[in-house]
Amino acid sequence: MVDPLPVEPDARAARIDALERERRRAFEDAQRQADALFAQYQLSQLIASSGSVPDLAASVLNEVLRLANAAGGALWLGAEDTVIGLVAAADASGTEPPAELPDLESARTWTISHRGGRAMILSEKPPRAVVGVWPRGGEVLDEDGVRIVLLARHELAVAFMGARLHEVLERERQELSAIVDGATDLILQVDENGCVVRLNPSGERLLGTTVEASLGRSCGDVLGCEVAGGHALADCPLAEIRASGESIAYRESAIRGHDGGRIGVAGSYSVTAAQGDGADARATAILRDMSAVRALEELREGFVATVSHELRTPLALIRGYAETLLHLPLEPAQQRLYVERIDEATARLGALVDQVLDVTHLQADPLILDRRSTTLAALVARLRGDLEISGQADRLVVLAPDDLPAIDVDIVRVGQVLENLVGNALKYAADGGPVVLDAGVDDGWLAVSVEDEGIGIPDSDRALVMEPFHRAWNVRESRIPGTGLGLYICRRLVEAHGGELTIGDRTDGRPGTRVRITLPLADAPSDPRRTAEVAGGG
Amino acid sequence: MVERHAAYLTRLDAVLGDGDHGDNLVIGFRAVEAMLEDLAPDTAPGELLRAVGYRLVAAVGGASGPLYGTAFLEAGAAAGDSPTIDASTLGRMLKTGCDGLARRGRCTVGDKTMLDALRPASDAFTASIEAGGMLASAMGVAVQAAARGMRSTRPLVARRGLALRLGDKSIGHLDPGAVSAMLLLRAIADG
Repeated sequence: MVDPLPVEPDARAARIDALERERRRAFEDAQRQADALFAQYQLSQLIASSGSVPDLAASVLNEVLRLANAAGGALWLGAEDTVIGLVAAADASGTEPPAELPDLESARTWTISHRGGRAMILSEKPPRAVVGVWPRGGEVLDEDGVRIVLLARHELAVAFMGARLHEVLERERQELSAIVDGATDLILQVDENGCVVRLNPSGERLLGTTVEASLGRSCGDVLGCEVAGGHALADCPLAEIRASGESIAYRESAIRGHDGGRIGVAGSYSVTAAQGDGADARATAILRDMSAVRALEELREGFVATVSHELRTPLALIRGYAETLLHLPLEPAQQRLYVERIDEATARLGALVDQVLDVTHLQADPLILDRRSTTLAALVARLRGDLEISGQADRLVVLAPDDLPAIDVDIVRVGQVLENLVGNALKYAADGGPVVLDAGVDDGWLAVSVEDEGIGIPDSDRALVMEPFHRAWNVRESRIPGTGLGLYICRRLVEAHGGELTIGDRTDGRPGTRVRITLPLADAPSDPRRTAEVAGGG
Repeated sequence: MVERHAAYLTRLDAVLGDGDHGDNLVIGFRAVEAMLEDLAPDTAPGELLRAVGYRLVAAVGGASGPLYGTAFLEAGAAAGDSPTIDASTLGRMLKTGCDGLARRGRCTVGDKTMLDALRPASDAFTASIEAGGMLASAMGVAVQAAARGMRSTRPLVARRGLALRLGDKSIGHLDPGAVSAMLLLRAIADG
């Protein structure tokens, strides 16, 4: 194969030289190719490990600068619009490359005319990309390096497209997450096995759990729909829609709340079909806590029932007495008694109408108080006067000392509150037992308590009796007439004074109820509320 | 040696790169070991180094294979076909090895690469020999310089390789390449 070496010494030496040169050239060629291969490898690694668009741009530009042995460079990227923006630049010349250019061609022109460099268009389709490089003074660009960049330009364009797409998707994902996380409804998503893959913060709150504790568990386990009586496990709507592929627009159910109690829920169930690329079929439940709606409905029903009952009873009495008076000849004393009964019944009707009006006002308007300095003793004296007319004054036991500091209240309104609280205590206390009124200064407020030996208010009803039209179950059963408005009106009036109304047990532990209200003292400069009012007014 | 430090190198690489440096070197040098067993005992040092270089380039998947491979290849080329190597030849071999690595990786000292350990070692070795030092002491000086160079990569911002995308976040971490380069040099000095 190889020519035999010539016999003559000179020719032989020349031949050896030639072979040696050829060997060296082959070695250098191989080296250059290896360099190019390695450069491409490094470039591909950068592309493969790319993060955001700016990161990718900075990495790519750095690599291109080294490949081309350039002093500086710039990388512009454009989307659908015509303007392309600078995403990365490296330049020691002191003037930055233009941040925006109308098109690829102007990027090329700028690079050549302002830097005497070379511009390489990586992609003419969106995302359009161009990279410009320029040599150091007195040097030239490495043509091998430039060629490597041009060879890789499709890969680079794809990488930029991927990075941009990734950014868009990531932004959309974040926006959707914000919506899901911000929703007040419970949103829960399960995979094709019925295991939870997503639960939003509202769901965490409602269920008293965390996302971490819920992920991977079955939806029935997390929601507790079976134990709460929502539906049997076999009737799980999430399983149903995964099987049928059809969403459910509205269905009511129940779940187990954070305190283990039942929460009635209603909502929709939707399903995303399994994708061809192997993505799971996922089902999502969007559930609304219906407790508040139910409570409102109950309130409304309570109002209708109470008001109609309270209206009908005195009306029937009035009608009965009036008809008797009209049709029967009666003794004058008898007539007078019946008219008195009619008077009492109309008074009850009038009180009921007043209460309903009060509630309407309290809910609609900010309360205007006519505040002035007075004492609890004065208010109690007036109350006792009223009770004497009805013959119940003896049952009121006042333990409050006489030397309590003055209070700054609307005398009529607070009088109404005391009358109501004491009236309640008298009404519900069995066998005419005593009602104890006590008071004392507590942390800058006058705390007044009313204790009775009555039937008490069940724990579960204590918060609710302070809402309009709610009457505790034991009161409803007792058939003692009432509207369910008294305590609500009291609470609102006390709160209008800045105080609060609380319901508790008797201090001695015996059956009965203790209602406590706090009222502002007449000279309480330390009260921050009032200080703020003065400051705000000035 | 490589296997002993593989986990450490891989952990360093997990911070700055793709977390395979230690594993890659283990694979590479196992392949080298297997090859050495087949090599004739009287193989010239230059040829042996070139064979090691080729083996590393071929066997290692990451960037470290081609880079170390190039260094061994170039060092082997500098050794020529001479059956023995003297101190000044060894100095030249270290230098051409570094040059080859720098050319292939397109890197310079300060880029937070293996060159940050190798170049100072090469320079220190040559200086020591030129000052009349013995081979063993020159090797010791070179390893110390490599260790200093390795430590110098900690505050640097990476300018080559995958660590590039970390930018300033690469500050505070040793470069795994510089660490493995120092370890290799120390093994050569001890061996």
